[in-house]
Amino acid sequence: MSDVTTFRAPTEEAPIVRRILIGVVVALLAVLVLAPLFVVFAEALSRGVGEAVKSLGSRDALAAIRLTLTVAAFAVPLNAIFGLAAAWAITKFDFRGKAFLITLIDLPFSVSPVVAGLCLVLLLGTNSTLGGLLVANGYPIIFALPGIVLATVFVTFPFIARELIPVMIEQGKAEEEAALTLGASGWRVFRTVTLPNIRWALLYGVLLCNARAMGEFGAVAVVSGKIRGETATMPITIEMMYNEYLSVAAFSLAAVLALLALLTLALKTLLEWRHADALAATGGH
Amino acid sequence: MIHRQKSAMPGFGLSMGITLTMLSVIVILPIAMLIARGIAWGPAEVWNIVSSQRVLNALFLSFKLSFFAALFNLVFGVALAWVLARYPFPGRRFIDACVDLPFALPTAVAGIALTALYAPNGVFGSLFPFRIAYTQIGIFIALVFVGLPFVVRTVQPVIAEIEKEVEEASATLGATRLYTLRRVILPMLTPAALTGFALSLARSVGEYGSVIFIAGNIPNLTEIAPLLIVIRLEEFNYDAAAAIGIAMLLISFAMLLVINLIQMWSRRHV
Repeated sequence: MSDVTTFRAPTEEAPIVRRILIGVVVALLAVLVLAPLFVVFAEALSRGVGEAVKSLGSRDALAAIRLTLTVAAFAVPLNAIFGLAAAWAITKFDFRGKAFLITLIDLPFSVSPVVAGLCLVLLLGTNSTLGGLLVANGYPIIFALPGIVLATVFVTFPFIARELIPVMIEQGKAEEEAALTLGASGWRVFRTVTLPNIRWALLYGVLLCNARAMGEFGAVAVVSGKIRGETATMPITIEMMYNEYLSVAAFSLAAVLALLALLTLALKTLLEWRHADALAATGGH
Repeated sequence: MIHRQKSAMPGFGLSMGITLTMLSVIVILPIAMLIARGIAWGPAEVWNIVSSQRVLNALFLSFKLSFFAALFNLVFGVALAWVLARYPFPGRRFIDACVDLPFALPTAVAGIALTALYAPNGVFGSLFPFRIAYTQIGIFIALVFVGLPFVVRTVQPVIAEIEKEVEEASATLGATRLYTLRRVILPMLTPAALTGFALSLARSVGEYGSVIFIAGNIPNLTEIAPLLIVIRLEEFNYDAAAAIGIAMLLISFAMLLVINLIQMWSRRHV
């Protein structure tokens, strides 16, 4: 009966197959995904920590960090407001064209960020009717902060709504209806019943939205005009430094964004682990 | 769209108002502007601008390499999803979290990192007798990177939901494990895998940040379509940029349609 130790359930692969498959998959992931991450830090620190920190203190780097934080501070709350409004309208009411509305909300995922930037330039650039009018009155949009915020909101548009809608569908509206019957006002129901129920999903969406907002490159590259110290966000400044062969400076700034990405992933994993039941089941994006 | 059934729930006007206003101003109006330009020109004029050899080569290159990258991600993604969903091994949670790294890492960061790795004097680049960075292989690698999570994340939940009984039934009927995988499991995964493939493809066709650093950007050889839009805009040639943008928008819409058709088809067959 020595066979017992090597017995394999007919619904599983042979241990050797498993091991090979795990090995291949992990090795490929290490080469494709982890190696690029490590190289960012290796290049940033290639001339020592001091040099990396010094380059982060440069005027361009500091201006870029400030601008990126400003853009995220506008774009993420705008998207949170949109996400909450859209999720409320879609999950609490029945109306015709709901599926079409959801498709439209998802649309920015299918549009290339560069094309998104192009659309904004055509609509609001100095050459357009609307843009020309705005510039003439002292409100430039393109090649200025509002354009960068608009482009960022465009590319992150579905992030929070998409996270909230499935969670709110699952929770139904019985609790809200109960609160309303007991005489609570609409706002109070939203604040004390809905918001606590969706707080983890909202946080999850905000995290992903923020990571993308701070890292967006293609759309911002088109609308920002890349004015050094003025409209160059962190990713744009990384590109400029890299093209000027300022490798340590470029990779140091990139390392800051990579750390942000790692922090985002860690918090996201923690949320999935601790509050899986309060999040949408779907992964991705 | 505003026809709705009576509901006691408050806030329909406000929430729908915010939703439609923001959607219109930020997303629909800008896209409509581009489409309106295309309609005003007419298909012949758009084609006239797009049909220069350099633009056609760029569009073809973006699509071809995106297709191959999505194909690679289809195979690798299904294998990765299977390992993550079925095999318990130390560090699985860590590997699972790593899959999302391409979503979280800004594309410009990924772009310069991949270039540093695969440049002729880079850690990986120096291992190969041929050039990887500044060639189409480099673009392929960057597109594999950005598209990697899509197939994994669409297939993984489907694997987790497969009932063990199905595999047991197949085994008791005498099927080998390989036969069960091929004839029972694989058909169940196909719709999700195809959706992931299409999502990966759609993302890659429009990808800009992670590609331009490693691409070398030689016209007709390693110049992708989004880069050509940026070049035309920097030359203030808005018409040419718009025409390429319209072509890319049409490709995006076509792929969106394909994704929806796959999902409709899979709902009917499950």
